[in-house]
Amino acid sequence: MSIAASVLDAVRAESLHHGAHISRAGLRVGELSGVEIDSLRFCLDALVPGSGLEPLAFELEPVPWTRRCRACGAVFRVVDYQPDCAACASPLTDPEAGDQLEISFVELEES
Amino acid sequence: MRVPLERKVLNENDRIAAALRQRFQQCGAFCLNLISSPGSGKTTLLERTLAGYDSARRVAVLTGDLQTDNDARRLARFGFPVRQITTGGACHLDASMVERHLADWKLDGLEILFLENVGNLVCPTSYDLGEDARAVLLSVTEGDDKPLKYPATFHHADLVLLTKTDLLPYVPFDMEQARENARRVQPGIEILDLSCTTGDGLDRWYAWIERHL
Repeated sequence: MSIAASVLDAVRAESLHHGAHISRAGLRVGELSGVEIDSLRFCLDALVPGSGLEPLAFELEPVPWTRRCRACGAVFRVVDYQPDCAACASPLTDPEAGDQLEISFVELEES
Repeated sequence: MRVPLERKVLNENDRIAAALRQRFQQCGAFCLNLISSPGSGKTTLLERTLAGYDSARRVAVLTGDLQTDNDARRLARFGFPVRQITTGGACHLDASMVERHLADWKLDGLEILFLENVGNLVCPTSYDLGEDARAVLLSVTEGDDKPLKYPATFHHADLVLLTKTDLLPYVPFDMEQARENARRVQPGIEILDLSCTTGDGLDRWYAWIERHL
């Protein structure tokens, strides 16, 4: 719930920054962000009415957990917690993506 | 009109955390964020840890709970500065709570600051508190598959502490499996095991802390 409140704060700040109402916002939610996308959607739906930001809709986009291989450079999705490179099987891999929790776009209402 | 962004949702928290981190670095303090489920032994570990420190050492604790100052009272017995953060319902600490509770503390010369997070293996993961390192406690009375069930938490940790090892004869917890599960989520993660009841493994825990000072 406090994450959803932070999302609304961020949308409010962007709205002030652009001087326009935001009707739609995109959120990237990484598989490793610790945030459950359905719970976040539920909390956002609960918080938007009465926030002064309505009408406001969200597009939530899950971001898969990926790692990058030091040996062959491949970026691969981590499946079944397997950290070894999916392309060349090297065990030397580094985190690449999946812990994001960010606003990816806002749609400004034309005035 | 669509405006593309890359704005972190926890921007404001991260900004305060960065300022805290700078403050800790300036005064030379090592700040450790302790995260675990409720009842994994965070407070007990801190009790054992503080009991082992000479009173001349500069160590302090902020301890978070939804309600009560029981933990702060347990920890204050050892003579080091301890302050309770009562979140009043929030299931995690955030950077502004830490900032507020440190506001009137002089940190100069502080060696170690322990932040005992609210018992929760999910939400504390998302909130940077300005710490230098994160330790996740997993007690042997829990499941050895917890790293797989809560990968985000273990992925963001610097250290895993397997606690209550004195209970191993009575529970089906598989230590090797737990270590392997933690390493699947984060290859190369440091893992220590210890018992606050028998004292086994505490020497390695103290050594781990000293290495980071």
